[in-house]
Amino acid sequence: MDPFHEYYGIPWYAILGLWSFIAIGLHVYQVGFIVKLIRLGKDDDRFNSWKQRMKEFLTDWLGQRKVVEDKLAGYAHALIFWGFLMLVSDVIDLGTGGLFVKLLEEIHLANIWNLIVDIGYTMAGIGILFALYRRLIVRPEKLKGASMEGILILFAILGIVLTSFIVEAGYMIGEDDMNNWEPIGVLFAKQMEGIDSTTLGLIIDASYWIHMILIGGFLIEIPQTKHSHLIGTIPNVMFQDHDAMGTMNPMQMDENDVAVKTDDLDFDNLTLGVNKFEDFTWRQLSDGWACTACARCQDVCPAYNSGKNLNPMQIIMDVKNYGKEHGSLLLAGEEPPETMVERFTPDAIWACTTCYACVDACPVHIEHVPKLTDARRHLVMEASDFPEELQNLFNNLERNSNPWGMGAHTRADWAEGLDLKIGEPAEYLFYVGCAGSFDDRNKKVSRATAKLLKEAGVDFSILGEMEMCNGDPARRAGNEFLFQMMAEMNVENMNSLGTLKVITACPHCFHTIGKEYEKYGGKYEVYHHSQVLNDLRQKGKLEINKFEDKVTFHDPCYLGRIGGETEAPREALGGDLIEMERHGEKSFCCGGGGARVWMEEDADKRVNEIRAKEAAKTDADCVAVGCPFCMTMMSDGLKEIGDGKPVKDISEIMLENLNKEEA
Amino acid sequence: MNIVVLVKMVPDTESRLEIVDGKVNESGFKYMVNPYDEFAVEQAVQFKEAGGGKVTLVALFSNETSIDTDLRKMMAIGADEAIVLRQEDYRGDRPSSNAKVLSNAIKEINADLIIGGVQGIDYYQGATGPMVAHMLGIPHISGVTNLELNGDKFTAKRQIEGGLQVIECSSPVLITCQKDMTKVRFPALKDIMMSKRKPFENREVSVDESNDVQTDECSLPPARAGGMIIEGDSAEEKVTKLIEKLKTEAKVL
Repeated sequence: MDPFHEYYGIPWYAILGLWSFIAIGLHVYQVGFIVKLIRLGKDDDRFNSWKQRMKEFLTDWLGQRKVVEDKLAGYAHALIFWGFLMLVSDVIDLGTGGLFVKLLEEIHLANIWNLIVDIGYTMAGIGILFALYRRLIVRPEKLKGASMEGILILFAILGIVLTSFIVEAGYMIGEDDMNNWEPIGVLFAKQMEGIDSTTLGLIIDASYWIHMILIGGFLIEIPQTKHSHLIGTIPNVMFQDHDAMGTMNPMQMDENDVAVKTDDLDFDNLTLGVNKFEDFTWRQLSDGWACTACARCQDVCPAYNSGKNLNPMQIIMDVKNYGKEHGSLLLAGEEPPETMVERFTPDAIWACTTCYACVDACPVHIEHVPKLTDARRHLVMEASDFPEELQNLFNNLERNSNPWGMGAHTRADWAEGLDLKIGEPAEYLFYVGCAGSFDDRNKKVSRATAKLLKEAGVDFSILGEMEMCNGDPARRAGNEFLFQMMAEMNVENMNSLGTLKVITACPHCFHTIGKEYEKYGGKYEVYHHSQVLNDLRQKGKLEINKFEDKVTFHDPCYLGRIGGETEAPREALGGDLIEMERHGEKSFCCGGGGARVWMEEDADKRVNEIRAKEAAKTDADCVAVGCPFCMTMMSDGLKEIGDGKPVKDISEIMLENLNKEEA
Repeated sequence: MNIVVLVKMVPDTESRLEIVDGKVNESGFKYMVNPYDEFAVEQAVQFKEAGGGKVTLVALFSNETSIDTDLRKMMAIGADEAIVLRQEDYRGDRPSSNAKVLSNAIKEINADLIIGGVQGIDYYQGATGPMVAHMLGIPHISGVTNLELNGDKFTAKRQIEGGLQVIECSSPVLITCQKDMTKVRFPALKDIMMSKRKPFENREVSVDESNDVQTDECSLPPARAGGMIIEGDSAEEKVTKLIEKLKTEAKVL
């Protein structure tokens, strides 16, 4: 029994043809509109490394690599996703009144195809049930307040699955043999046996048309809602960022992929940062339609979780909603009444710590942080509208090349009495950084590191007064021009010494010099001090006793998640560590990144207190850090919550446990 | 309105300060725009933005050190041009002769308003501004905390002991600005870049050494001695020791 007959004298295919025309037409029209909007964005040439991109596409998109990191939602999604990939060709068969399967019969593929489709519907059905269980019964915190859209769509696709089984079963009823290649269809058929043929006919016809209406409706709905991710994730995953995580782009690049020198920048034709929709690159815009509102970025965001006005997911929604609301104006080349930056709101833009937890958590490679840092560039360099504290920061960096504005000539004072090489060629350059040079607490870390390096007989020099800030605070705070001036001067100084290898105790120096200076002519092997000290320990050049305290290690964002180094600091410490719940690449920011350490933070919205509480929850005696800003933020946070744990740098713990007799 | 802003270059407050033979060793100094003068630039630009006109920066400085970047930043705030009077053996502690050189240069501009900081943060003499006014034969109001302009009439407010003095004056007048007279803006990068296209004149001038004060000697304040922690087993013992020390060592009791 099948639904392919006339209805009130109109052949089924005429009705279906009309409906398909409407549904497909509306779908194509809307998708075309979105594509036109995204193409308003600036160029971003990611059409390269195709082999790698295909591999990533297969693992990340087809393989759902990051989707399944969240077990329940992830596997439910994967089942629905894989199920739909397997069943999608069924719509052709149903749409052609069974012609497709006849064609397959000719080439003896009908049975296997039937089985695949049947399994596909089944997988999707199971996935939907899991997803409904999660949304209706588990109800995770982040789904409270979510719209009904998700649930309605789940019921709609459940409808698609169930009606397909009924139609499938309908084919079999009245036939001599059941088609065992469609096992679930057979199950349905057995249940439906015995229903009188008129009712059965009605059920099958209704199921068929419900099925087709739902699919058509779904096609119309996809471009309008978060289901745009069905299409949007394809370019998003395929054209994911191949630069190292956290590396920002220069203001202007020349044809050799090198930053144009500050003196040669063409300011007449240069947009600094982003303000308008079309200031973004096409790939930044496509993020908006790839987002599924899964809220994983929101879960891990330190700004959101400390109650600030930033939700990384909202930033991505803003891109899409802005495009939707002002699409006609944008395409007509007119100015909408608000800019993208106004839509994001300055509060949100300045709340980001650039910890990249959101980017890391996103299953579809959405890039939240660059949108905010680009907006900061606009606010600082074009609009000159930014938090007042940053004006001091910029002035201090300009005048004395450190965030606190201490006399640049006192930079090497921390090293007094250590008898270090200063500004001389050596195997390693120990790039101390501003905190290690000027902040009293962190000067002790510099001394500990220098002592250990000397103990192990490492040939190293410091830059002394020649050293400047690496520029990270200026760059993350949107003053790209200042950053570039500092980078250019640092590169010149470092190259003049013939520097090849750099050691630093600051993950921000580690990241910026190691991964961002290349575009300004500085190519160095940059090591975090924990990497070098660990290496010396493993080679027996540093005899360190196992520490007796119970220690927990707080991974700095720019070393762990962004730097990809979570092992060396642990091995350098060497004892039994107590891990916090969030650690390694999933560590939670101390709140100091993205120049936030120099900005005001409301007392009831402090990121460092959240992290300090996590550290306090372990029964460790001491919190180990590997970053001067984590040092400050964690010390302050622990003090604020009344926990007496000392905070120490890796090098300090190593020095305390150095086997002196051996030395 | 035609406005002249007097800008002084002073050593960066974080520069290494050394006294050699009773004189400040200026080699290795980094210089910055005197912060009080920044208020003057901002105020002048605000007047220009409200009522049109032109803002000219006039600075007197040594002919050895480049100050282009610093003055460009002031021009990025909105000043229209800069005249830097370059002098051999410039010194910041000769108000009388410096005022003479400055007023000679300013005379020809016929400014309606001459404005500068109340004092330089190098020697804190606070004399150059009033002297320029005197030499030009115009009135001056010094240490102004708030300045308004209505038509061609200035209303200046000054903080005085226990009160506020309000002074009215019509142009031309010379005003010196007290701290926080207005909030100095941070120029946008485009403005900094565009400021490179504004006229910037370096003019050689000679020193007028007739009849000026002479700095005899400079010295640093004595280094502070470290604190002392009084050890003891009980509070009473510590207090006893403290009283003893206050009597015998500090001799304040």
